[in-house]
Amino acid sequence: MSQSLRPYLTAVRYSLQAALNLTNFSSQVVERHNRPEVEVPNTSAELLLQPMHVSRNEHEQVLIEPSVNSVRVSIKVKQADEIEQILVHKFTRFLEQRAESFYVLRRVPIEGFSISFLITNKHTESMNTEKLVDFIIEFMEEVDKEISEMKLFLNARARFVAEAYLGEFVY
Amino acid sequence: MEDWRRIDIDAFDPDSGRLVPEDLAPPNLKSVNAGEIESKISQLRSAATSGDFATALQLVTNEPPYSADEVTKSRYFEAVLSALTQVRQAEIANLVKQLSPAQTDVLIKYLYKGMSVPEGQKQGGILLSWFEKVTQNTGVAPVVRYLSDRRTV
Amino acid sequence: MSDSVVRDFKLAKAPVYSHCFSQDRSILAVTLNTDCLVYRLVAHGKPQLIATLADHDKTVTSVDISIHGRIVTCSQDRNAIVWEPLSDGSYKPTLVLLRINRAATCVQWAPSGYKFAVGSSARIIAICYYEQENDWWVSKHIKKPIKSTINCLSWHPNGIMLACGGTDGYVRAFSGFVKGLDSKEQVANSPWADKFPFGALIREWYDGAWIHGIAWRGSQEKLAFVTHSGTFNVVDPSDEISSAEYPEGLPLTSVVWVNDHEAACGGYSCHPILFSEGARGWQFAKNIDKSVDTRAPVAASFNGEEEQDENPSFGISALRKFKDLDLKGKVSTQVKESTHENAITELAPFAENSGNVTEISSSGLDGKIVVYRV
Repeated sequence: MSQSLRPYLTAVRYSLQAALNLTNFSSQVVERHNRPEVEVPNTSAELLLQPMHVSRNEHEQVLIEPSVNSVRVSIKVKQADEIEQILVHKFTRFLEQRAESFYVLRRVPIEGFSISFLITNKHTESMNTEKLVDFIIEFMEEVDKEISEMKLFLNARARFVAEAYLGEFVY
Repeated sequence: MEDWRRIDIDAFDPDSGRLVPEDLAPPNLKSVNAGEIESKISQLRSAATSGDFATALQLVTNEPPYSADEVTKSRYFEAVLSALTQVRQAEIANLVKQLSPAQTDVLIKYLYKGMSVPEGQKQGGILLSWFEKVTQNTGVAPVVRYLSDRRTV
Repeated sequence: MSDSVVRDFKLAKAPVYSHCFSQDRSILAVTLNTDCLVYRLVAHGKPQLIATLADHDKTVTSVDISIHGRIVTCSQDRNAIVWEPLSDGSYKPTLVLLRINRAATCVQWAPSGYKFAVGSSARIIAICYYEQENDWWVSKHIKKPIKSTINCLSWHPNGIMLACGGTDGYVRAFSGFVKGLDSKEQVANSPWADKFPFGALIREWYDGAWIHGIAWRGSQEKLAFVTHSGTFNVVDPSDEISSAEYPEGLPLTSVVWVNDHEAACGGYSCHPILFSEGARGWQFAKNIDKSVDTRAPVAASFNGEEEQDENPSFGISALRKFKDLDLKGKVSTQVKESTHENAITELAPFAENSGNVTEISSSGLDGKIVVYRV
C-alpha cells in the first residue's frame, strides 16, 4: 500500500465506523412507512447528521452522508485520462446493473461521484458492521487496481491490433 | 405550474413540524463580532508565518466563530487552512497530543471542512495525515461527536 | 466471554429492539419483528416459549411488563396493545386508543401499573389509562414543545414526572398527572416544581445530539441520559448538567442506574460500560465483558507463506486457495469477542439488593438476551 493511500483509507474507515450506528426509524412524514431518511428529499433536518468528506486530492474523494437509519457512501474513483473515464464508467455501470446482488450498492451514483452505496439499518442488523466497513475499504483498494489493470490490458491489446493491422502494409 | 407532482407541499404547511437546519442551532450560542474575528485571523497568520504552530493551533481550536455568517467563516477558514498546511509532517503528532478533547473536536471539524472544499482537497495529503494522527491518539470518539454536533465551522 | 456474564440466550436471528422481565423475573418478553414473544425462564437451559403475541402488523418497537403482569407492546403500525394474562397462560389483547398517526416508538408502565406512556414519531407522548365505563384504554396527549420523534421515556418513581428524549436533541420532563389516578401527595416536596398539571413542561435541557436512553434515580432526584455522540449525562433539580465521555466513543443507546453513584450504559460498542461518580464528577469507570482486542491473521502475512509451499500437491493448494478466499474478506484487524455480537438496544436491571442493582440484562440487535453481573 502506498504511503498516501493508507491515511486515506484509515480516515474512511473511522468515518464509516462513526456513521454506521443506525436505528430502526419509522417515517415522521408518511404513516406506516420506513424509508432511508438520507434518500428522502426535504427530510426533517434533525434526522441528518453532518456529512463527511474525505479527500486524498481533487480526483479521489469519498462523501459519507449519515442519517438516523441509513448512510450513503459515494466514491469518486481516480480518472486520470479519457480512457480511465470510460473504463470507470463501464465498470461501475456493470456493477450497478447487478446492484441487487450487492445489497448495499445504489443503482445510480449521486452527482459528481463514480459509485454510491446505500447502507440501511437492515444491513447493519443482519451483517457485521466491521465487515461492511471492510467491504467498502476493500472495494476502494481493488477498484484502482482493477482500473489500471484494465487500462494496461487495453493498451496491450491496442498495440497488438495496431501491429497486426499495420503489418499488412509492410513489405 | 409544470411539475406539480413534485411540489413539496409540506413546505407550505406550518403544522408539518418539519425542521430546517436553522432550527437546529443551539439555543445558547455565543455571538462573535467581526472585529474579533479579523484580529484572530491576523494573529493566526502571524503565528503561522513565524513558525509558531503550537500557538496557531491553540488559536484555531479555541472558540471558533460558530455563530458567524458563511462569508466570515470561509475567510477565517482560509487562514486556518494555510496554518494547518504549513506544519511539517513530523511535527503533527506532537502538536495533536497537546490538545484537549474539546479542542480535538474542533480540529476534526476543520479537517472535514477542509476536505470538502477545493482549496483543501489540493492539500488532501496533509489534512489526511492530521486526521490520521488525531485518530491514532483518540480513536473514533471525536468523529462520532463531530457527526452530532450542530455547530459548524 | 468473560466471567461477568451470568446468562446468555440466543433467542432469535432477528434484532431484538426491546425486552422486559416480569417483576419476579420469571417471565421474559422480547420483541421480534412484528411479534412479541413471551418466555418462562427455567433454572438451567433455554427459556421456554409460552406465548406469541401477534396482533401487530409492523415492527414491534417496545415492550414493558407492569407490576401486575400486564404486558404492553407498541409498534410502528401506530398501535399499542395491552395483554392481560389469563389463568390458562394465554394473553387477552386490548387495543389502546392512542390516537396517533405515526409509529409508536417506546412504551413504559408507570410504577403504579395503572397507566403507561407511549412515545411516538408523531411528536406526541400519549399517557394511557384504563377507563372502567367503556372497558378500554384511553389516552391523553402531550404535544408541546416536542419537535421530533421520541426515542425514550422514563417515569420518575413518584409516578407523575415523565422524562423523554428524542431526535430533536432535547431532554424534557413533563407532568403525567392523571386526575382520579394520581394524588398530589405523590409529588409533595418535589424539588423539581411546585405544581404538576397534566402535560406541563417541568424542565428541559438541550444536548444537541439524539437522546437514546434516559433513566431517573428517584432517591437522588437525578436524571441520567445517554446520547448519540457517546456521552453520559446527569442532571439534577438545580439544572446542572454533569457529563462524561465514553473513551471508545461509539454512541450509547441505553442507561440504567446501578446505585446512587454508578450507572451502566450500553450501545454500539456491544458491551455494557460503567460510569461512576467520584470526587471529580462523573467519569468512565470500566468496561463490562470486554475482551482485549485480538489481532486476526492479516492477509498480507499470509501471502508470504503461500509462496513457500507452492504446489506441494494439488489438493492442498486448492484447499489453501479456498482458505485464502475466506481470509480475503477478513482484513479487519480487530475481532470483537464480547457476548453481544451487535449493538445493545436496551438495558434493564435484573437483580437488586437493597436498592443496589447487582445484575443487569440486555437485549441486542444480534437477537441475544444477556445477563451481566455488575
